[in-house]
Formats: sequence, C-alpha cells, structure tokens
Amino acid sequence: MKDHVAPHQAPLRPPAQVMRLSRMGSMFPTRLSFLRTLMRFLAAEKAQVSRPVWQMCPEGYGHAVYALSFGGHTYSLVAVSTALAPEDRTDRVIAEAWDSSYVLYDGVPDADEIARMCATAPRQEAARFTERDLVLSRANKSVRLFQHVVERLRAGQQPDRQMVGEIGYLMRTTAVYGNGKFGIADRSCIDTRPGLSGPFMAEMLTVWLIRQFTHDLVEHVGQGRLDRDLKRHLGIGNSTGLGMAPFLVTHPVLLNNWMLARETALARVRAVRHLEPERAVRLVALADRARRHLAEWCVPDAAHQARIDRLRADWVRFAGGITAKALAEEGALERLIRASGTQSEDLQELLVALALEPFPELVDGLADCMADPVGPVAAPLADTAQLRDEIACHFGWALAPDYADAAQCRQFWYVSEAKQEPRLGDRFAEEGAALESPLDIGRRIKALFLDLPERSEDVRAFLARSPEHFLAVARVALAAGYPYAEIRDNLIGAGCLPIDMLRCKLAFFGASKFDPKSDRWTRITLCQGAPLADELDRRADDWWLPVFDA
Amino acid sequence: MSWSGAEVSALAAKAARGAGAPAGQAALFGQAAALHLQQGRGAGALAEALETLPEGPIMDLPLVLQEALPVARSGGEIDVVWAGDVALAWSYLETMPYRCDVELERPGGLKVRFSPRSDARPRAQRISGCEELLHKMATLAAKTLVPDSAASRSGGAGAGLTDND
Repeated sequence: MKDHVAPHQAPLRPPAQVMRLSRMGSMFPTRLSFLRTLMRFLAAEKAQVSRPVWQMCPEGYGHAVYALSFGGHTYSLVAVSTALAPEDRTDRVIAEAWDSSYVLYDGVPDADEIARMCATAPRQEAARFTERDLVLSRANKSVRLFQHVVERLRAGQQPDRQMVGEIGYLMRTTAVYGNGKFGIADRSCIDTRPGLSGPFMAEMLTVWLIRQFTHDLVEHVGQGRLDRDLKRHLGIGNSTGLGMAPFLVTHPVLLNNWMLARETALARVRAVRHLEPERAVRLVALADRARRHLAEWCVPDAAHQARIDRLRADWVRFAGGITAKALAEEGALERLIRASGTQSEDLQELLVALALEPFPELVDGLADCMADPVGPVAAPLADTAQLRDEIACHFGWALAPDYADAAQCRQFWYVSEAKQEPRLGDRFAEEGAALESPLDIGRRIKALFLDLPERSEDVRAFLARSPEHFLAVARVALAAGYPYAEIRDNLIGAGCLPIDMLRCKLAFFGASKFDPKSDRWTRITLCQGAPLADELDRRADDWWLPVFDA
Repeated sequence: MSWSGAEVSALAAKAARGAGAPAGQAALFGQAAALHLQQGRGAGALAEALETLPEGPIMDLPLVLQEALPVARSGGEIDVVWAGDVALAWSYLETMPYRCDVELERPGGLKVRFSPRSDARPRAQRISGCEELLHKMATLAAKTLVPDSAASRSGGAGAGLTDND
C-alpha cells in the first residue's frame, strides 16, 4: 500500500466474510468509488470543461466536442448524435445502431480527426480506432424522459419532477470500452498520467462528460434551460450484463486491491475511538440522507423492490440509534458496526459505506492503491506439499462443493458467436459446455487438490505431468499475497447469481439505484448528484447516495 | 492498420485455447505474444507455437517461468535452458513483474539477469505488419465461441423488455 504513514486500524474483515457473492451483491458506492475519486481530482486540479464544437441541427443530430485539461494533458470527448428508428433501439450488446456514440480523445482533435471519429464512432465494434482514441462508448435515449423534457422546455416549463426523480437520466450507455478494444489506446499509454492512473478513470471521465452532453442536447432540442437541481439529479444510465462479471474473475489482483482498499478504510475507521462533534453531526445527517435515498429507490422488479423495502424499514430502525449523543461515547462507531452484525448484509454494507464517508483523511489516500501497476507478484511454491497446504488454508470454500452434483455445476460461462458476448448457460439444457470459459475457479482448485500426489514433488514436475492444473496452481500461488483476490463461491453452481458480481463492480464505479432486470443484467445510474461541469469548485465531493430534494 | 497490445493479447489467448491449450497456458501465451510482437521479434515463432499444440512452447515455456520465478523475485542471474525459439522465451520471461535483461542469447538458452522493476509497466507499443498471424489467430479464436441460440440470447443485458422506454 502506498500510504506511508499508516493510521491505526482494527483487524480487517476476513476474506471468508467479505468475498461472498451475497455480500458483494449488497455493496453500495463509497468515497473510494472511482467516480468520487475522479471528481475530487478534477476539483483539485480546477479542471474546466469547454465546448469548442457544437454542430447540431434543431432536432439534435450532429456532433459536439468537449475539452478539459488536467495533469498536463488535454482530453476531448467527441459526441455524435444520430437519428435512430424505434425498432433499432436496443440496449443489447448485439445492437448495431445507437442514439449517440462517443470517443474520448487524447488531445484536441483537428477537423480531420473529428470527421474520422464522426464516421467511426457510430459504427462502434464494426470500426477500427487509433491510439489517440482512449475510450469508446454509446448511449440510447430514455425516450420517455427525453421527449417529455423537450416538450416541457419548448413550452417554457420545467419537466415533471416526479418523472425526473423516477427515471433519473436522459440517456443510458450500453457499453463503455477502454484498454485497447477495437484498436483504441492500451491502458498502459495513460496509466501513469495524473488523474488517470486509477482503475477505470478514463472510462469514468467519459461517462461524466456524456452526462454533460445529454443535458446540453436536451436543452438544445427543447430550446430552454433546465433548472440546476434537476440537471444535477439527471445522471447517466447504464445497462450492464454478463460481460462485466468475468472481469472480476480474470483480474484477481485488481479485485484484491479494490476490496483491500475498502476493507483497510473500514478498519481505520473502526479504530477511531473518539468522534469529534462535527463528525458525529455529519454521520447523523448522512444516515438520514441514506434513509431518503432508500425511499427514492424504486424499481419495477417486485422481488428486488421487496428487498429495498426491507432495507428501508431496517434502516429506519437501525439508524434511530445513530444520534450525536450516542456517537459521542468512546468507541461508538465500532459498537455500531458490531451491532449491525445481526442485520441483513444489505444493511451491513450500507453502514460500511456510511462509516467511511466522514473520514476523507483516513480513506481517500487509499484510492492510490486500487490499481495494478506491475501485475501479479506471486510467491513461488516450493513443492506440492506446500501447494496442498495453501489450498487447505485459503480454499476451503472451493473444496466444499461436490462438483459432480448437477446443482453444483448447473451453469457454464461461455462466449457467444454473436458479438462475442459473454453468457451463462444451463449445462444440462444447452449446447456449448465443451467451450466453457475458465471461470470455474473453485472446481479447478478442487480438481487440483484431488490430483496432488501423496508424496511431495516439485511443482514443475507435477505441472509437466498435469498441465491442465496450471491455472489453478497460479491462483493458489496468489492467495497468500492477495487475500481478497477470489470470489469465495461456486460460480458455476445453480445458485450463482451474476447480478451480485455486477453490483460489486458497479458499486466500485460509483453506481447507485441498481435496477435489476433479471439475475443477469441490471440498469443503474451513474453520476446522479455529481457536480455539473461548472460546479467542481463548489460541491465536488458531497454526493454520496444522492437525494432529489423535491 | 495497427493493433493495441491488449487486443492482440486477448486474441492470442483465445487462439491458443482454440488450438487446444489449457486456459492458464493460453492466457500466458496471450501476454507473451503481445510483448513479442511489440518488441518486433517476429510473428513466425508465435504461429509455430500455435501449430505445435498440444505440445511445444505454449505448454513448456510456462514451466520455464516456474523455474525462473524464485530467481526473478530475489534478483540475480539464471541460465535458462531452452532449445526452442529464444526470442519467444525472452518474451515469456518479460511477462513476469520484474525487469528482465538478457545478457547472452545463444542456441540452447539464455542468460538472464532479473532486477526489481520500476513502478509501472512500460508503455505498450502498437502492433502492425502481422496481419497473416492475426488472421490465423482469429480463425483459431473462433473455435472457442458458442453459436448463438434463442436460449442464450434471453439472458443478456437488455433482454426481455422494450428499450424505447
């Protein structure tokens, strides 16, 4: 960890508790979420967004360029808005046309470069891009809200606040591609630059600028100005599916670093024995904000709404104990966190996110530890006896299931021919299990364990004889140094819900208002409550669990 | 046309899987292949490595890394015995998170000095001039894809509701 003067901290929550799917699927955004980190950085840099190009017809089709400079570099978002027939509008990855498309560009594009991106961005995966192109994205309108806002603005009125509150965005992105996809720049081209060294920073910057574009576009078409508070509440939606889930399995070091930073932050906060009065007041206010946020969080899915309803009720009861008087007692925060142990994981994780919020000096520096600048540094395993010991020590969760049981291997991950979309199939009802993607880490670890020789031997000799275990050995080798690297659940079991993996990753992005449409994909809102481009100097960091002050 | 290191790495890994390599070895080949091409070490060794599966360097070079790892971690020199393409072996060694200087390249192996690497990975170079290899890789990678079906489509993001809401 890069924090050289480490504050006191309580013990970390063990990976066996933290790295379970159900808990990961209960996570909330925190002040370590990437969008929060980015906003703080842009504010510290006094970054100013300009719009040097706006070539848009009255109906809102054309292109625009936004630019901002920070850390010694200038970045530009090229936004292209195109007409789209209703029958062509789909959030699916397999779509081939969108309402709008975007490129985050390294520098200030000249006319030729703008023309190039206006031609390629709308084609997305079907086009090729250059190393000046850092991020590629696209977004579709929330037709209902976009049309409504346009009509109201044209009539000289503001949109219906309830509708703005319910939907929360004018457009939703359906993909945000970084790190070399389709020829764009490798992450290593920018990962030492100030402001972009953290994970997904270029992608978050893109999303924030897209949100600004959606505001400008609706005002352009509606020929009016949105009230500032409405605009601030209009984030950017996103549809996220299974494509995001494998990332957490295939990037164990990153997953470890994200979780370890968050758990270290919590451990530091738990070690705080005395809360200053102003800090206690802040916690009480934030607990109330969380209550109002939960009250505004409504989703169409009945099961998920019931879960939100339970959390609302539980939180009202629990947060009743979060008072300035109670927090004035020594060790109050630790007691509160301990008391939450009897509550649901949803409530526990909400409390974790709340507890971090008033402690920027203990938490924010940990954001510097969330990238993976050098790659996995695994300790060599001396022999198969050590391998066996490591598995027994760290992988009990992997050894427990009987993977021959149909319920324990019901699902298989694979990549579809259709736009190479990651998907999840039923092993016993669908074709394709022979081409299964290697996300079955638990099963592989157990197979390795069962194949280890009784007499210890050199790991290399074992792998020469059993090369199919190479991946499992590599994961075991990581375990000692990266305790939060593995999701400690059976990812091919019938009970595996990919939505839990999505929520974990999206919470790290800073998403809120999770709106699951199945156990495999969700809509979310990003940047809701985030500062507008001209507000970075005023309210860059106070938008945790935003509420709409209707 | 030029390619990013990340897309070549991903493509090479899928190609190795499509050609029959186990997942771990395939992923490592992906990393090494991108480095190999970025360093201009020639596409021939990569094509040959894919052709010789289920044997050959994609299976054997990961074991070489296993042997080199203790030395790499502590820093120091090691004689790497390798009868195959030494440039490809070098590319594999460079996938490790340590600085790797080849002091002597000779038939039958390399003498390598490892030292701690500075904070960040070196900036990736663009890859070009290897279209034939990439085409071959794409063909092999396609063998890992599952044909589209109605059942599989039903679970993806955006499935099951109107998008004009």
